Parts: sequence; C-alpha cells; structure tokens
Amino acid sequence: MQPLLIGAVAYTPNVVTIWEGIRDYFAGTDSEMDFILFSNYGRQVDFLIDGTIDLAWNTNLAWVRTLAQTGGACKAIATRDTDTVFQTMFVARTGSGMTDLTSLRGRRLALGSKDSAQAAILPVQFLADAGLAEGDVELLRINSDVGKHGDTGRSELDALRAILDERADAAAIGINTWEAIGRDELMPGAFEVFWESPTYSHCNFTALASMPDERLQPWVDHLLAMNWENPAHRTILEMEGLKQWVLPQLEGYKSLIDAVATQGITPRW
Amino acid sequence: MVSQTLVLDLVERAGAVATGATFTVEWRVEDSAAALETLAAWSERTGNQVVDVGDTSALLRRGRASDPLAELDPDQLPGTRLWMYTNFDCNLACDYCCVRSSPQTERRALGVDRVQQLAAEAVAAGVSELILTGGEPFLLPDIDEVVAACTAQLPTTLLTNGMLFKGNRLERLRRMDRQRLTLQISIDSATPEIHDSHRGKRSWERAVDGIRIAHEEGFRVKVAATLPAEQIHELEPFHDFLDSIGIAREDQVIRALAHRGVSETGIELTVESLIPEVTITADGVYWHPIAADHEDQLVSRELFPLKDRIDEVRARFVEHRQRADAAAAWFPCA
Repeated sequence: MQPLLIGAVAYTPNVVTIWEGIRDYFAGTDSEMDFILFSNYGRQVDFLIDGTIDLAWNTNLAWVRTLAQTGGACKAIATRDTDTVFQTMFVARTGSGMTDLTSLRGRRLALGSKDSAQAAILPVQFLADAGLAEGDVELLRINSDVGKHGDTGRSELDALRAILDERADAAAIGINTWEAIGRDELMPGAFEVFWESPTYSHCNFTALASMPDERLQPWVDHLLAMNWENPAHRTILEMEGLKQWVLPQLEGYKSLIDAVATQGITPRW
Repeated sequence: MVSQTLVLDLVERAGAVATGATFTVEWRVEDSAAALETLAAWSERTGNQVVDVGDTSALLRRGRASDPLAELDPDQLPGTRLWMYTNFDCNLACDYCCVRSSPQTERRALGVDRVQQLAAEAVAAGVSELILTGGEPFLLPDIDEVVAACTAQLPTTLLTNGMLFKGNRLERLRRMDRQRLTLQISIDSATPEIHDSHRGKRSWERAVDGIRIAHEEGFRVKVAATLPAEQIHELEPFHDFLDSIGIAREDQVIRALAHRGVSETGIELTVESLIPEVTITADGVYWHPIAADHEDQLVSRELFPLKDRIDEVRARFVEHRQRADAAAAWFPCA
C-alpha cells in the first residue's frame, strides 16, 4: 500500500524537522506516510481536493474553505490538544483603562494578516458580537504573512509593535503569540489583556469524505498513541506545540464559519 | 527594565530559523543595559540560548546546542584518562621532543606525594586510567614509589624509552605491579636508521633490548611510534617488525609528529583543534600532553582539587566546540 501523503505549509524551517520526525514515527507501521510542503494554504487545499495529497494539516480557515469548496464532503480526523482551546487575546498597553471590547469604541485596533482567523477574521466578528458597528473602531490591518493564515506570528508581532509605536491603541493576537512573548511576565508593564475570546478550534488534519475510514483509522490510532513521556516523541510534540494528539471538536469551528459568511470571505484564492 | 521591542524581535527571529540554528538581534547602544537583561530573561524562560553578546547585537540559538561531551566516544571524554608528567629531564635529547626534554632540562618532578594525592582524587573524579610520562621517568630514584602510588588506585601506563633497565633501575622495575602496569616504549622504525637519527646513536638497539627485558620480567608492553605525516602510509613493514618482537597489534600505537617543543615540523595542534587529555605537571594543569610545556595550553596553575580542574577542562572544551559551531553558522560558504 502506498504511504499516506500529507500536506503541510512550510511557515518555519522547523516544519521540515517536525514532519521528518512524524514520518519516522510512522515508519514500519501499517500506516506509513510521507509529506509534501506547500508555501501557502490555498495551494494545499487545491491539492487535497484534486487528490494529490491524502491529508492536509490545515488551519481553521483552511478547514472552513475546504468545507466550502467541497460542499461539506470532507472530514477532520485529528488535532492537537492546544487546537481545541485556542483563543484570541485583545491586548493594550498596561494601564490603558480598557475593560472590554466596547472600550475600543473610537480607538485604533491593530489586526494581523487578513487570512489569520485568530488575529483578523474572528476579532472583527467579536467586535460585531459586542455591538460595535463598522466604523466604531479604526482598524489597522497588518498583512505581513498572507497565505500562511497567521502561522508565522509575524503580523501579530507587528501589531504589538504598532501599540509600542503609538500607531494603535490595542491589538488582537492569538494566545500562542501571547504565550511566546511571555504573557505579561517577561515585559512587565508593557502589555495587558483586557478581553479574551471564548475558546475555539484551530488546526486539524483534513481528508476528503471519499477517503475510506479503514485507510485513515490505523493512521489516526497510531498518531494518538504518541506519548509525551517518551523522549523521542516529546521532541516532535514540543516543536509542534502540543502534549497530546486528540480527536477534533467540530463545534469549535462554528464561530469561524459564521465569521467567514458574515464577512463575505471567498472560499478560495 | 526589559526592552519591549527586543522581545518582539527575539520571538520573530527565533521563529524564522530551525531549531539548533542561530540568529542575531540588534539594539541601540543606549539600550544596552535593558537589552542584556532582556536576553537573559527571555532565554531562561524560553530555553533558547545566548551564544555571544556584543555592544549592540547578540547571537542566539533557537533551542540549545547539542552537548559536545555527549557526542564524544566515551573513551574520549576529558578526564577518562589522567596524564602526569613525573619529570622533564631525560637521558635523550630527541629532535622532535614536544616538551623540550634533554639531559640539561630541569627535572621539575611532580613528586610522590602529589602523585599519591592525584591518584586518590582521580578515582573519586571518575578517572579510569593513569598515564605517567616525562622526560624519562626511570631517571627518578623513587619511580617505583610513584608507580606504586598509581597502581594502588587505577590501571596505569608508564611511558619510557626503555633504555635504562639495569642495576638499581632494573630493581625498581621489578618492584612494579605487573597486573596493573603497562609499559609503553618508543620505537620509531623497523630498523635503527630513522629511530637513531631522531633519538641518538644506538638508541633503537637499546630500546628493542628494553622491550625484551620488560617482556622477560612479565610486563605488558605497548610500543608508540612518532612518525612524520609522509611516513604514516608505509606502516605495514613496521607493524610486521613489532609483531616479530612480540607486540600485540592493539598495543602498536602510531602517532603523527606534532609541531611542538623542539620539533620544527609536524601537525599544528591547538586548544581549539585537540580533544583535551587532562595533563598534570609540576607547573600546572595542561590541556593535552603534547603541549605540557606550552603556556597556550595551560589550564591552571592549581592542581587541586583535581575534580574541579577536570570540570574546568570539560567546560572549556564545550565552550570551544559551541563557538566553532556558531562560527560555522556565521560564515556559510554558499
């Protein structure tokens, strides 16, 4: 049987190490795999739909776009534990006096790349949900890494720089970027979170509905068996940012599906 | 005061390189104090490593460098063997001696008391073998006591030119522990000419005779040859000769001539290019026995505690290797 062919987007050089490690983990099992790296999620989803790859390691936006392009004929089969509890953090200078999203009325909010669910698409939805109409908040969009759906984190760092440079009063960033800068502990007195979103789902392994479960199940079973206590596994898990592979929580994608529809975001570019 | 923009730069640049690779960050000179504090705090929190810090920039590594000690063959781990120079005077004046020994060289004996303490501390420090060298150790009137202090603790090898096994010196040899001591005698060629040209007239004949005596006295004998690089490819006749005088193949040691001491030619060996072999002399602790008379490889004037000196050598080795790795990362050729 041919190895399962998995697509992933190369947003950092570490992706090579990560996927070679995962491929090695599956070597010699009855569900061997290989991988292809893409420069952006748009092409990856194209190659999933045309059958070139069997699975795509997709962001939440790539998942929603695959749903849209296939009319729902796709399935999410596994995800990281960290993907089930992802959040967007609204950050301002410490002492800004902001208490919730309505504090942004008449202020400037820096957003990350336009295809970042956590730093652009969902934040706009959260503002609307808080009763803020278009124009109530001045949006500063920073499209530093379009195509990679915010994976590099660069646009979110640029949004934080905008606060320090007085070009913005607040920024919307993913919880992973908030953790990466040391939350409010590494730079005490610099930033504070004044509102954090409900949790939502982020990345998942996406397959077309036509992919037989008997082909996928052994692969998923072996993936979920990766063990944090095993040093060889832990190296890969740490680099990929999880402690345990788990089954996806599909209800966690609802807020993004709604946001994409409301904002008229096209299913493909 | 932690530099806020520097933290953002650190996160961005670390994310753009693979684990193990290095990256640089810069800051303005007036921000130096805050920058240093930021580098320390960020690297401690994230597990990334500060490699080198300049006035307005720093080189960092994503993740931690691999452990150079862990990459060594266990037998090469510094401190596995402990070399001791018993003395520096010699009955020969070889023209390539790495420590400039000769009959005129000052003795600078380590002395039985210090050898005794070193051997005892060596056991506690995890050393598994002691190696005694000089100079010519059999010039010492108490060489049998020095050797006994070592063999009482650990397996020991004694390097000698093998030319002095007669009279009182033969009696001292006979008092040594045949089970715990190996003799290593220098022979440079299968015939006298090359050996004698470096070490002196009739020295080959007397060394071969010394090997015979040592064998008759029941000692294991290793032979070490020092050869210029151009002769290293013609070893088989030499090995055949050593076979013929009863030296086991695993006891036939060939080493390249080093450009050290009185030798005017040979390979260049530096602290950066040598895996250290902790070496003790009366003058201090050295990086490697090949340079035990050279200031550039002096590690410490203090001999004790031995464990601390071994740890210091290991730490310097790790530092050298990591700097070399970082330098390689700085200067890609293509």
